[in-house]
Amino acid sequence: MSITIALSKGRIFEETLPLLAAAGIEPLESPDSSRKLIIDTNHAEIRLIIVRATDVPTYVQYGAADIGVAGHDVLLEHGGAGLYQPVDLRIAQCRLMVATRVGFDYEAAVRQGARLRVATKYTESARQHFAKKGVHVDLIKLYGSMELAPLVGLADAIVDLVSTGSTLKANQLVAVEHVLDVSSRLVVNQAALKLKRKQLQPLLDQIASAISC
Amino acid sequence: MSIASMQHWILPENISDVLPPEARRIEFLRRKLLDCCSRFGYELVMPPLLEYVESLFTLEDAALDLKTFKLTDQLSGRQMGLRADITPQVARIDAHLLNRHGVTRLCYAGSIVNTRPDGILSSREPLQVGAELYGHDGLTADVEIIELMHSCLKLAGVESIHLDVGHIGLFLALADEAELSGDLRQAIFNAMQKKNLPELATLTAHLPETIRKGITSLPQLYGGVGVLHDAARLLPDFPQIRSALSDLQLLSEALQLLGIEVFFDLAELRSGYYHTGLVFAAYAPGWSNAIARGGRYDRVGEKFGRPRPATGFSVDLKELAWKLPPPPARPAILSPDCIDPALIELTRSLRASGETVVVKLGDVMDVDELKADREIRQVADKWIVVPIDV
Repeated sequence: MSITIALSKGRIFEETLPLLAAAGIEPLESPDSSRKLIIDTNHAEIRLIIVRATDVPTYVQYGAADIGVAGHDVLLEHGGAGLYQPVDLRIAQCRLMVATRVGFDYEAAVRQGARLRVATKYTESARQHFAKKGVHVDLIKLYGSMELAPLVGLADAIVDLVSTGSTLKANQLVAVEHVLDVSSRLVVNQAALKLKRKQLQPLLDQIASAISC
Repeated sequence: MSIASMQHWILPENISDVLPPEARRIEFLRRKLLDCCSRFGYELVMPPLLEYVESLFTLEDAALDLKTFKLTDQLSGRQMGLRADITPQVARIDAHLLNRHGVTRLCYAGSIVNTRPDGILSSREPLQVGAELYGHDGLTADVEIIELMHSCLKLAGVESIHLDVGHIGLFLALADEAELSGDLRQAIFNAMQKKNLPELATLTAHLPETIRKGITSLPQLYGGVGVLHDAARLLPDFPQIRSALSDLQLLSEALQLLGIEVFFDLAELRSGYYHTGLVFAAYAPGWSNAIARGGRYDRVGEKFGRPRPATGFSVDLKELAWKLPPPPARPAILSPDCIDPALIELTRSLRASGETVVVKLGDVMDVDELKADREIRQVADKWIVVPIDV
């Protein structure tokens, strides 16, 4: 039986390569130089597919891929149905944060209890975060350039991934609250783990041991 | 035509018509499965499509509650629900209507409706077929139900079946010992089902070492028989854990004798909302989810005033059918549109013998669509069946 691994281009792909190498898997092409979406590896029965980061859980859930690498943020939005997520790969690490315009009194806005307008791509995580705090929010779903929303008066705050903080700084925003730490997880299709255990288990074990050392 | 009226024919999300080839396949399977249950001595029951919510699910079944469509009964003003699962209905029938003291075996086939689909591609109107065995708390009842499920899947044409068994008692023993309750218990239960080890490590960090080790080991205990030895080593030596592991051992030995290979997944808890002991799920190549699930649910009858040991399984025929080849169709015979006593007699006798005879109406007739390979022709004043000339 063949194994299909779903990965997204960019940081996740680059940081997953050493882990795959530890399991003896080398892609034959790079997704940056090739426009191919299916990439063969040095093992005839293992192939990689290149999909959008937010689509990785969907491909794995429906068995279009057996395993994949997806950010914790993406998994929370997806809900994780039909997936096992046994390993934290500790790659592509960053933080999901609440940020506001410099000078905006976030604490006072929260205390006041009025509805806060929050722009984000991560609506599920944001909803849970503010529900836990007991704050009512109006969520505005955006697909990119979140930093703009507070500057043009679209929102009071944003919930976005922050790795160095330089984008926030360049736009006169400041991170005011930590939502969660994000890193990438290995996700496995539930039926595949049962039906292809002989092939998948060694792969999972090798990847897991490559992380702990 | 306006856009609104053009869209009148569109069905709601995840609700679909079942068209001829698919309907034939599903009906073929439904009959096969019910016949199979009947040969094991299971009697068919037909619970209603809707009833009062109080009997459809218990208050603790928050997940089943959310899955149930509700409406107000105009006669009583009470809230009714469209069934999202038939098992509790059958348990109600066993507990209240039949009132038998010995073993009762019941089977059923019917549509259920879910407010939310189980997956993007899942129907919100699955066709649930299942069998339940009441009144016996021994392993032989579990073995019988698993053998029945296995036979049903084989008869349906599923070639290679991977059977996973687990025991909810393991999780319950650990959770009760640690006195887990409320949100934390639910969070650990959810993370366990996803084998989400990083999350489990965080959630259990403050728990006693034996419990923490037990809970984080469970999701890793899956695979062949070796799992039970590892479990005995990694899980704390509580009486409920010892008895659950011994149940699993005995179950696998009994099934092995029946020629059914068993695998284990000790974190397999998601069979239903009400399970209490042994649980199982069947997987097969081609399906990205379990195709059949079941297990023991000894406490459901309690709600109906009569606790009864119970075990059973169910299958969604729609999910099962779409990956299976269609059953062989018997080619039809075309008959001319003509009223003649001899022709009528021939047609009747052919139909009585099980043939499909289709009367040719009008000029447009797609022989391929009817899958006809013969026709009735008049030759020298006699009606005879001849192959269709192509």
